[in-house]
Amino acid sequence: MKNVFVRIDDRLLHGQVVVSWIPYLRAKEVVIADDEYANDEFMSELIKSSGPEGVIVHVKTIDETAAYLSDDNQNKILVLLRSIEGIKKLIKKTKISSINIGGVGAAQGRKRYYNSIHLSDDELNILNDIANDNIYVEIRILPKDKAIIIKGN
Amino acid sequence: MTFSDYCLLSIFYFWASSTAFSVGIGYYTIYRPIMAGMAAGLILADIKTGMLAGAVVNIIFIDFISTGGSLKGDQCLTAILAAAASIIFKLNPLEAAAAAFPFGFLGILIWKYRLKINNIFVHIYEKKYKENKAPDISLYNGLFPQLLLFMMSLAVIITAFYLMFLFNKLIHFNSISVLLYYIGIILVIFSVSNVLYKIKIKYNYAIFISVFLAALVLDMRAYILFILIVLSLLYLSEKKVSIVRNSFNGKLKRGDLVYSWFIWMNYSHSCYSYERLMGLAFAHSMKNIIRKLYADEHEIAEAIHNHTEFFNTEPNMGTPIHGYIISLEEERMLNNQSFEDISYIKKGMMGISAGLGDSFTQAILAPLFISMSVMLCLDGSFYLAFIPVIILSVFILFISYNGFMNGYFQGRESMLQRIKDVKQSKIKLYFPYIFSGILGFSISKLLFNNIRPYEDIFTLSIILFAAVIMFIRKRGEQ
Repeated sequence: MKNVFVRIDDRLLHGQVVVSWIPYLRAKEVVIADDEYANDEFMSELIKSSGPEGVIVHVKTIDETAAYLSDDNQNKILVLLRSIEGIKKLIKKTKISSINIGGVGAAQGRKRYYNSIHLSDDELNILNDIANDNIYVEIRILPKDKAIIIKGN
Repeated sequence: MTFSDYCLLSIFYFWASSTAFSVGIGYYTIYRPIMAGMAAGLILADIKTGMLAGAVVNIIFIDFISTGGSLKGDQCLTAILAAAASIIFKLNPLEAAAAAFPFGFLGILIWKYRLKINNIFVHIYEKKYKENKAPDISLYNGLFPQLLLFMMSLAVIITAFYLMFLFNKLIHFNSISVLLYYIGIILVIFSVSNVLYKIKIKYNYAIFISVFLAALVLDMRAYILFILIVLSLLYLSEKKVSIVRNSFNGKLKRGDLVYSWFIWMNYSHSCYSYERLMGLAFAHSMKNIIRKLYADEHEIAEAIHNHTEFFNTEPNMGTPIHGYIISLEEERMLNNQSFEDISYIKKGMMGISAGLGDSFTQAILAPLFISMSVMLCLDGSFYLAFIPVIILSVFILFISYNGFMNGYFQGRESMLQRIKDVKQSKIKLYFPYIFSGILGFSISKLLFNNIRPYEDIFTLSIILFAAVIMFIRKRGEQ
């Protein structure tokens, strides 16, 4: 899908995304694909109301996101996910040609991969598998940064 | 420059770039080139010259926001160097800014490695915690990283000055002052065209040019425009301000919250690391709260450690999270709940307030007020130039303190309210127009107060050339 940009960022709609990515992509819609938030009424209201001017924000479960993206999208859509597990689920449901990784915080079992990107062995394996399926996987925190491409095995 | 000058300058640079020990407003005041230039001028006994050099550097960095990934050097260091160059080598502000510009890149090293190096303190803290040694969070978030940062600032300042003086030994700045002058002009024009291009409104160029010409033809003074802007901002701003005046019924009193807020504001970026970002700072701000709630040392250490998890937000807009979390910690102590729910709320709210905050405090409030200060300074109203900076500081402090207290009393609703307030803010709506005007005025004053009469035509063609190049480059990016 050419009008879709998928980004993994555990802080979702934070400063880098609002100030740098949305203007850079000229995105008109943002889809937060997250089961937990989609089922939490307060959090989804909070997230929806926080989008910048002129940008529609949806909070959808991963299944809903997959269904939503299958349509012919007129608008440029930025899809944000919190986790690598989430992207694995999404890819099974719909066709995605590229993935951007912008922020994965440190946690138990994760090792620092690059700057603020921390990955566990499992997560790295998932990304390698995705890359092996001819999907472009890059680590790029800000639009101006140099992309670090995960090439798979 | 004497030994004591170097000491004072490095202490100042450390203070400004650490953003600690300045109640959170350092980033909006002393870190900005105009104020950094002023301080360097104060140390080198020529405030006005320093401030003017700082103002020019400020225009070169006017499009700065920390999330924007700027390709320029460190604005604070550049301003200090420019002020010193202007005072010591008797360069005009444009020349001094151009001379200092390349050496300002050394300052990026601090930001680049700070996030990596601070991981060390996170690791030591974690190790001590695992060994049951109840480590004091204020040492690992406050003292140690700040000591290290001081050493780094000292090294950077000394290296930068050494290189600048060395360059002057090899090629006298004064002998290439004409070249520096034009580099300065080009840097200014590049920055202004870039920022005007970024302002996506219809009349940005029209406003810029008409104010530019009006300032030139009518010889209008900057303070008149400043007063007009302040009056219209007062007219536009929200009259109703919600300040919650509830009473403190639990174990915690107002003083505890104020202290926690004060710690947060001072140390939010103190141990900024890739691994946790502001995690340790959040825990640091909870220390006195947790100490008040629990008595057992083991429980205290654990409850503080809980909060060291990954956390990042905009430090002023995000304070409702702190207030809310404190009220939840109070409940948790009474009902013995798990920490998981608190963690979920923190993580959910932090990104939202970061997006909201960066697009408001950093992208609107700071450039609006700082550019007014620059405009006044370039017109020679040096004392008046402090006023916008003071207004900005009060604004920032109010936003953060008010959010903290509202978060405590109103909980998560306060964050929703905050989002609505910012979205409906008229300042946000009119900012691009006001900002284009201020830029037009500032550039007009800058160029025609510093113009070299015998080079008029040549200067003008350089300016036009730079603007056209910038425009073509931007078009190419589309």
